[in-house]
Amino acid sequence: MLVAVVSVSSLVFAAIDEGPALTNADRAYEIAKDFACPVCQGQSVAESDVVVSRNIRRQIRVWVDEGRSDGFIREQLVATFGEDIDYTPATEGITSLVWIVPVVASAVALSGLTLVFRRWRLEGELEASEDDEAVVARVRDGQR
Amino acid sequence: MSNVSLGTMAVSVGVAAAIAGLLVVAAGLAGRRSRWASEARLLVFVMMGAALAAFVVMERALITRDFTVAFVAEHGSSRTPALFNVATLWSALEGSILLWTLILCGYVVAVVVKFRHQAEDRMVGWVLLTLFVVSLFFFLLMLGPADPFIRFDPPVGYDGPGPNPLLQNHILMAFHPPVLYLGYVGFTVPFAFAIGALVTGRVGEGWLLATRRWTVMAWGFLTLGIVLGAWWSYETLGWGGYWAWDPVENASFLPWLTGTAFIHSVMVQERRGMLRVWNLSLVIATFSLTILGTFITRSGVLQSVHAFVESGIGPAILGFFALIVIVSLSLIAWRGDALRSPGRIDSPVSREGAFLANNVLFAVFAFVVLLGTVFPLIVEAIDGRTIAVGNPYFERMTMPVGFVLLFLMAVAPVLPWRKASGEVLSTRLLGPAVIAAVTMVVALLLGARGWSPLLAFGLGGFSGGSALRQVALASRRQGWRGLVGRTNGGMIVHFGVVLIAVAFAASHSYVRQGEFTMVPGDRVEISGHSLSYEGSQLEEHSNRVQRSARVLVDDVKVYEPGIATYPFAGQTIGIPSVRSTWRDDIALSVLQFPEGGNDEVVLRATVQPLIVWLWIGGLVMAFGTVLAVVPGRRRDPLLPASAKVGARTATKPQPESGEDSDAS
Repeated sequence: MLVAVVSVSSLVFAAIDEGPALTNADRAYEIAKDFACPVCQGQSVAESDVVVSRNIRRQIRVWVDEGRSDGFIREQLVATFGEDIDYTPATEGITSLVWIVPVVASAVALSGLTLVFRRWRLEGELEASEDDEAVVARVRDGQR
Repeated sequence: MSNVSLGTMAVSVGVAAAIAGLLVVAAGLAGRRSRWASEARLLVFVMMGAALAAFVVMERALITRDFTVAFVAEHGSSRTPALFNVATLWSALEGSILLWTLILCGYVVAVVVKFRHQAEDRMVGWVLLTLFVVSLFFFLLMLGPADPFIRFDPPVGYDGPGPNPLLQNHILMAFHPPVLYLGYVGFTVPFAFAIGALVTGRVGEGWLLATRRWTVMAWGFLTLGIVLGAWWSYETLGWGGYWAWDPVENASFLPWLTGTAFIHSVMVQERRGMLRVWNLSLVIATFSLTILGTFITRSGVLQSVHAFVESGIGPAILGFFALIVIVSLSLIAWRGDALRSPGRIDSPVSREGAFLANNVLFAVFAFVVLLGTVFPLIVEAIDGRTIAVGNPYFERMTMPVGFVLLFLMAVAPVLPWRKASGEVLSTRLLGPAVIAAVTMVVALLLGARGWSPLLAFGLGGFSGGSALRQVALASRRQGWRGLVGRTNGGMIVHFGVVLIAVAFAASHSYVRQGEFTMVPGDRVEISGHSLSYEGSQLEEHSNRVQRSARVLVDDVKVYEPGIATYPFAGQTIGIPSVRSTWRDDIALSVLQFPEGGNDEVVLRATVQPLIVWLWIGGLVMAFGTVLAVVPGRRRDPLLPASAKVGARTATKPQPESGEDSDAS
């Protein structure tokens, strides 16, 4: 009981007290991580060393300093470089499937599992008959 | 004789041996050949000899810089340092197929040696047949689309460009690919046994027992290979990260996920005779995913930072993948009746119930990763848009699964088979729960904030405590043997997983990055560390020209990140430098040395806590795997290891699970 209280309260405390606020540099870095470098393969804007990425990083920093929202920055970047720069698939249209399908699949798997367990329970418990016990006893004696 | 002729000859012998083996085994299985088993074994050794010869010839060509071999001319160089000269073999497509084939042949030899006393068995026959087919495919690749031995006529004074610079600046490159391949290829053996079991109809438990160690070893190699790969990318790519949910990383992660699901669910089948179809499907899925991974890595359909080579072998591999899937699924459908397994699970709150939940979660995990990886292709095929699916998607979707898995990892090991009472559960979980609470409080005191990392630390403490409890109980009873065997070794693996989970959560949540433009004498602060720039220097190496910045970290030691130009490869890459401690890492990389004569540098610093524990966790997992394949204490098969059938309350003392380290 005490253990649960301690755990939950530390979780709540950690969730409420967010610690030192993100600096603009940190926020710019967080945003840059979510966009693909337009010219290199498999690296984000935050990671890439190429000139385009460094310019985008600088631009994101400018926007952050101006106090723009994440949504605004996203729109600007997608408008300039295209949708394939955004690592987060859109939640509308066909791309929303990538978010929905796994959730639906997990729900189906979970309910399937629940159904199977219920069926097993309804089938009743297996009881070892006397014959079964006799077989086991015979085998055990044979072992010794 | 030239290396090209020798190599081509070796590959041809390999093809011939594989075909001959195939025919001999087929004839033997059809009852038309009596001495097929010993002939097949001989042919396996011939095949192994051929692969080894081809490998040695290629290494000889690379070491002696024989530019009449096109592969050496394209990827070798007289300026490459000796170690990387050897490793050049797996830095490009043709060589890596050669390495794959060699490892595959090694596994086939191990199979015929290990099962020599059952060589006449039809089951082993079908296993061999399958292995011959897979080997033949890889030998044929080397004869056709991925021929490593093509003749080249070098002009006088020719020198090659050397391997991709990224692949010749870190020692880990010598180990990561071979270890990863040992994992990938290792799954061929359980796959062959799955096929053998399906064809012969012996879908009972025999094939599982026969391949259990093989699967666990392959899984261990795959684990180690993935961790080494993450380590390599952290040390050499200079972006301060180690895992980017890149298609190629995902390709190695997918078989790991299904393989992990398998090594857990297989225990349910052994104990309860259930989940036959599921386990067969997992083995087949794991093997297919290794082939799919090769396709993704090597065909260039998906952009990736690791896709170092693109080539025309895509269609061949995709065709092979389709063949595997179609044949396997047809076999499963054909054996449908025999696969229907007896038995059932009494209660969801039991060891087998936990394994079932584990499997659902791993399947969902694998599905999310697979979907996210191929989704851009699907969208492009449907409406021509190009989109990207990356970090934010994978993190958001897999984090909940990861949390539940961590929780299960704490609860499952203390659950008895069949059913558990609440009382048993709370007694056994009290210790781990205390550890979890203490972990969270300590993390808070150390300054950890945010609910998700704290939850990860707490769950980490919970499952770590649970694993500790099992190992402690087992070793109290069995001495050093309490550390070996599948169950106990598995607990050590769990420790490794906990270390990685905690390090992953910490490094992801508390990463700080800064970009600084500095002139000599400048000093900056980041996350409580100081960086002083002292100036740069130019060094010339045999294969590169490198300019490095001298950066004094925390007034203690100078680190020298730089930028290297490989003139012959025509590439410039960053050479990061990392200061590691138990607590945190500072990864330094130079983005630019701007022109202007005042020795300016644009430096990037990434500070992340607990990074070292990722690598330690990986090594612990590998070590635990080794312990798990050492035979543990044999359980008397007649001892009741689970709650009595029909028992409604667990009044009798139930054997602790530390005791039922299964006989192997």
